[in-house]
Amino acid sequence: MIAARALGWVLAGVLLASCATREAPAPFRVALITPGSIADAAWNSGAFTGLGQIHDSLGVPISHVEARTPAEQEEALRTYAAQGYDLIFGHGFEFQSPAERVSADYPAVVFIITSGERVQGNVAPLIFRLSEASYLAGMVAGGLTKSNVIGFVGGVELPPVREASEAWVAGARAVNPEVQSRTTYLNNWDDAALGREAARALIRVGADMLHHNADAAAIGVFQAAKEAPGVYLFGANADQTELAPSRVVGSAVIDLPRALLLVAREVQSGTFTPRVESFGLGSGVVQYVPNLALDSMIPVALAERVRAAEDSIRQRDGQ
Amino acid sequence: MRSSIRALGTSLLALAVGLLLLAVGLHLAGYDAGAALAALWDGAFGSWRAFTGATLLRSVPLILIGLGFALALRGGALNIGAEGQFYAGAIAAAWVGVHAGGWAPWIALPSVALAGIVGGTMWMALPVVLKLRFGVLEVISTLLLNFVAEALVSWMVQGPMQEPSGIYPQSAPIVEAARLPMLPGTRLHLGFVAALIAASILTWIFARTWWGFRLRALGEGPRAAEVSGRVRGNRMIAVALLGSGALAGLAGAFEVSGVSYALYQNLSPGYGFTAIGVALLARLKPSAIVLTGIVFAALEAGAGAMQRDAGIPAVTVYVVEGVIILVLLLGDAAARRGLRRQVVATGAVDGIA
Repeated sequence: MIAARALGWVLAGVLLASCATREAPAPFRVALITPGSIADAAWNSGAFTGLGQIHDSLGVPISHVEARTPAEQEEALRTYAAQGYDLIFGHGFEFQSPAERVSADYPAVVFIITSGERVQGNVAPLIFRLSEASYLAGMVAGGLTKSNVIGFVGGVELPPVREASEAWVAGARAVNPEVQSRTTYLNNWDDAALGREAARALIRVGADMLHHNADAAAIGVFQAAKEAPGVYLFGANADQTELAPSRVVGSAVIDLPRALLLVAREVQSGTFTPRVESFGLGSGVVQYVPNLALDSMIPVALAERVRAAEDSIRQRDGQ
Repeated sequence: MRSSIRALGTSLLALAVGLLLLAVGLHLAGYDAGAALAALWDGAFGSWRAFTGATLLRSVPLILIGLGFALALRGGALNIGAEGQFYAGAIAAAWVGVHAGGWAPWIALPSVALAGIVGGTMWMALPVVLKLRFGVLEVISTLLLNFVAEALVSWMVQGPMQEPSGIYPQSAPIVEAARLPMLPGTRLHLGFVAALIAASILTWIFARTWWGFRLRALGEGPRAAEVSGRVRGNRMIAVALLGSGALAGLAGAFEVSGVSYALYQNLSPGYGFTAIGVALLARLKPSAIVLTGIVFAALEAGAGAMQRDAGIPAVTVYVVEGVIILVLLLGDAAARRGLRRQVVATGAVDGIA
């Protein structure tokens, strides 16, 4: 009984409060929703840095929130749209279908889905062909491996992750047809302990070159590599040399800040039209960044081949 | 009556201590605690949209699972596996919802809900059998089955139930007819009404039925209840546990048919565990579970707003939830010690219950 009365009071209070809510004309504002922690030193932290640069360069108010479950993701999109944000980044493919549902109610808001799928209304994707950089990483790994076994740790088997894994193997085989590859998916983006176990298992079956696309879970992959003598690895999504300076040969990098800033500028100036925007090596947004401290490991002939492959991919991109 | 007022006092105290610690912690960490709490309040209750679409929407699974936890614990059994039963219900509901093409809503909606109930009940069947046949503690078996259920969902959305293009780890969307209608003018689906009805039914069972009375007798003194000869303990425990699983499964079905419209791997942000706090804070009283469910849902809805509008990591709110439960348990322990001293001093037992 007390409970029912209390519920009544709460309801009444909320009704009053909502009547009092004021709608003020707002300046241009940008929001970012990440599917996980921004402490992953990769996918999410890159986007968060990009959001900061949007704030610094364009001088606009920004906001960020983490949303892990489908319900939270749709709610976050809807809340930002209702609060009058003009540009909302849903950082990952999982935001595609909720954004399509929400955008029907907010046609004036631009929704950008990184690693998205298609254009629908004001929902538009940014596609990063990270696989092109992973291919180059694979070439280096194929040339350096002593055991002829290379390993890949993926977060969830999404199309961009699978493509990166396949490109990594293809790159290695292009240099060294003898290479055997092993791939593990964690079904998880956050569990560093799981990433460490997966990497250890790969090392146990002989892998001495590792690559990943597992966000925060990959922190464990770096730990495992540091503990195993003679094992080297390649970072993903950001220049991850810092995580293991003596073991990271290079990183397949997405310059997320640059891509996000590019779109934000267009939307702010009103020149944005919804389209599929795709970035590869040719754009400079996707890059293979070597760790210069380990450059001496790489034979000159191998470095030449990698550079030639990079040039030919860039040229193909340019056409 | 006196003890129930004290229980209410401890619950309110726990809530207050939790929020106070949040404010102090934020202040010490250099944040503007006032702005943070204002954002928390705004995100949870600040507008009709936030209250219905963020707070009440989140409360539906918390209330249903909390009711189930209370049902089992009244009989003395601990169901720590609501997360697994939630997923089992979600899988079953999504399967029916995807294959309900051409059904009328009045057939599709009950079928989806029923599928969730069946899924959750089936997931609980194994722990019940293990408990009654072999004496395996349900605390352990239900907990471990959570991991199995999560793995099962992962496999489902990448295998038998993956969407037709075979690219994304999610099921095909459920048909329109299987989607729960929203309450007018809100993003809140009908499952909220169902949760209120479930709470009323449980209130009635606990307060007015012979079965509810015997369940409680069994929970508070299993030996005495059995010896009295009027209580068949095993059967009652089995029914209470299966009911607990059914409610969690129903929560899973509502999440699919009212919110996500498809099966995903990370459908639950830990509802099955948060709901334990919901039920404990409510002292297992169904009507109070509705309130505490809304309180915890408000905290989590407000957590998002705190991160959005004040830049404070949302995880701080999970610390608050933990503190609330700790204060509650400490308060109870202190009350029990006080009571024991009183009993020893006067030689009489007064006001227990």
